[in-house]
Amino acid sequence: MNLVEKILARASGKRAVAAGDIVVADVDCLLLHDLSGYLTSRVFENEVGRPMRYPDRVVMVFDHHFSPPTEDRARVLEENRAFARRHGIHLFDCGSGNIHHVGVRNGFVRPGTVVVGSDSHTPVHGTLGCFAAGLGNNSHAGMVMPFGKAWFRVPETTRIQLTGRHEKGVTPRDAALWLTGQIGEGGAVYRALHFAGDYIDELDMWDRWLFPLITIDVGAKCGFIDPDDKTLQFMSQLTGRPFDVVRSDSPSEASETMTYDVSGLEPQVAASPTLGNVHPVGELAGREIQWAELGGHGGGRIEDIRQAAAILRGRHIAPGVKFNVVPSSRQVFAQACEEGLVADVFAAGCTWFPPSTGSNQAINMGAMAATEAMVSTHARNFPGRNGSPDAMMYLGSASTVAASAVRGKLADPREFLA
Amino acid sequence: MQARGRCWKFGDNIPTDQIVRSDRALASMQEMRAHVLENLNPAFARDVQPGDILVAGRHFGQSSGRAIAPKALAATGIGAVVVEYAARLFYRNCFEIGLPLLQCPGITDAVADGDVLAVDIEAGVVVVERTGTHVQGEPTDPFLLTMLRAGGLIPLAARLAGEEGLAGEEQATG
Repeated sequence: MNLVEKILARASGKRAVAAGDIVVADVDCLLLHDLSGYLTSRVFENEVGRPMRYPDRVVMVFDHHFSPPTEDRARVLEENRAFARRHGIHLFDCGSGNIHHVGVRNGFVRPGTVVVGSDSHTPVHGTLGCFAAGLGNNSHAGMVMPFGKAWFRVPETTRIQLTGRHEKGVTPRDAALWLTGQIGEGGAVYRALHFAGDYIDELDMWDRWLFPLITIDVGAKCGFIDPDDKTLQFMSQLTGRPFDVVRSDSPSEASETMTYDVSGLEPQVAASPTLGNVHPVGELAGREIQWAELGGHGGGRIEDIRQAAAILRGRHIAPGVKFNVVPSSRQVFAQACEEGLVADVFAAGCTWFPPSTGSNQAINMGAMAATEAMVSTHARNFPGRNGSPDAMMYLGSASTVAASAVRGKLADPREFLA
Repeated sequence: MQARGRCWKFGDNIPTDQIVRSDRALASMQEMRAHVLENLNPAFARDVQPGDILVAGRHFGQSSGRAIAPKALAATGIGAVVVEYAARLFYRNCFEIGLPLLQCPGITDAVADGDVLAVDIEAGVVVVERTGTHVQGEPTDPFLLTMLRAGGLIPLAARLAGEEGLAGEEQATG
């Protein structure tokens, strides 16, 4: 069995499971954010009406709002706080950071566990060797909250074998964007994606993070990386809570293998309307942008801020460009302070925003008019997610975001890193 | 589980953000239903009749997994959703809220907007009345058919809890 099959078998009290089986498994962690958490809480209290079975396993993070922009949203957050108090679940209030980063950095996500969430990017936690999947509100309200369980269909597994090295100015996010285009939107529906190979082995944890992040947008159920020494060292810095490491049996753990070499890859940009619309930056260079952002589910890592600072030091963003920087957690902001990055990017004309999920879905910041365009590290570019359905969203690496902000147009970061 | 009604045809890769715009995510279900799919076909929310069939292409319902997207579609009274294939969260959510869904490769070439369709979820068949064509869809897992018959996950889980000790330490399987 592979990692996903082993975890699902153990969590459902079975000796073995196989692709296609439907199992009811124990859930170790439920991650909710302020928006879907609210919807889930209404279903749980209005339609289910049972007690919260394991409140210690339920975590709510206010990340779509770093502060409520309207009285109506203030009321939603107040109702969420009251819900958290009533049921004794964990609450991380406005300014704590992105849901997934908060979950990891506070030790709620551990190797070998079953992690579910209302955010569709929940599969990102497969980076740590979890089985992690996004579920709908009714799964959480109807099974996870009252019974501590969820139903799953055991997925078929595809091994994504990655090799190669990048040239300067090309980053793991470029590889992840490119891979999204290669696999295709819906190219891996309902499958588990096992990211492996020398390329993955050599990446640090927060760069590995970018690969399970894309699984939902190619249609997969989950993605994972088998834990190694880097995983264990990473975990030892975050939590003293115990966990059992689970690894895939080789060699027959996947029903298919797809091999990709990322050598020679150029910086990549995914342009609206969908994530599969990926191009080498050269094909889109020169398109005007008014907004730039290091934020969203994909961004706000210390790595992103370092990449941007390397381009922004000694330069200034173009007139008319607004460049917003959104740390993914309070720890990342503290680290950026320590490394002098906060002052560096501020001097280049950037604006710091509170730790959160940034302008994702235009709740707190960054709504765009029909004539505007943004380049960002966000995870999605679907029309209407950040204001007008006619506004453009370009997704790229932090280097590409910074280079484009300096030029006022989509630009190849390699021209700034000679 | 059978449905018969007018076909409302949509394209490929439609995200849940286009089914219910994300700025309406906290609106009342009445408002979401009144604006469902507003950017793609404003006539749909206005003219759809109970029992009508929504047909769409590949990876329908991608993006956010909020169940409000299928709930807003269900609130129109449509009888079924028939797609080339669905995004997995959307697929799961439909069954959990009790909205019949059929994955039916080839459906977009076989039907035109406005056709009258008869859909049999258990048999997995769509009949196009204009042409007499039968389109065979994919089988649906018996567990999911049980969920639909129960009216969705919440009533099913409550029933399983009573029958098989779901609330206890031993798991129940469908």
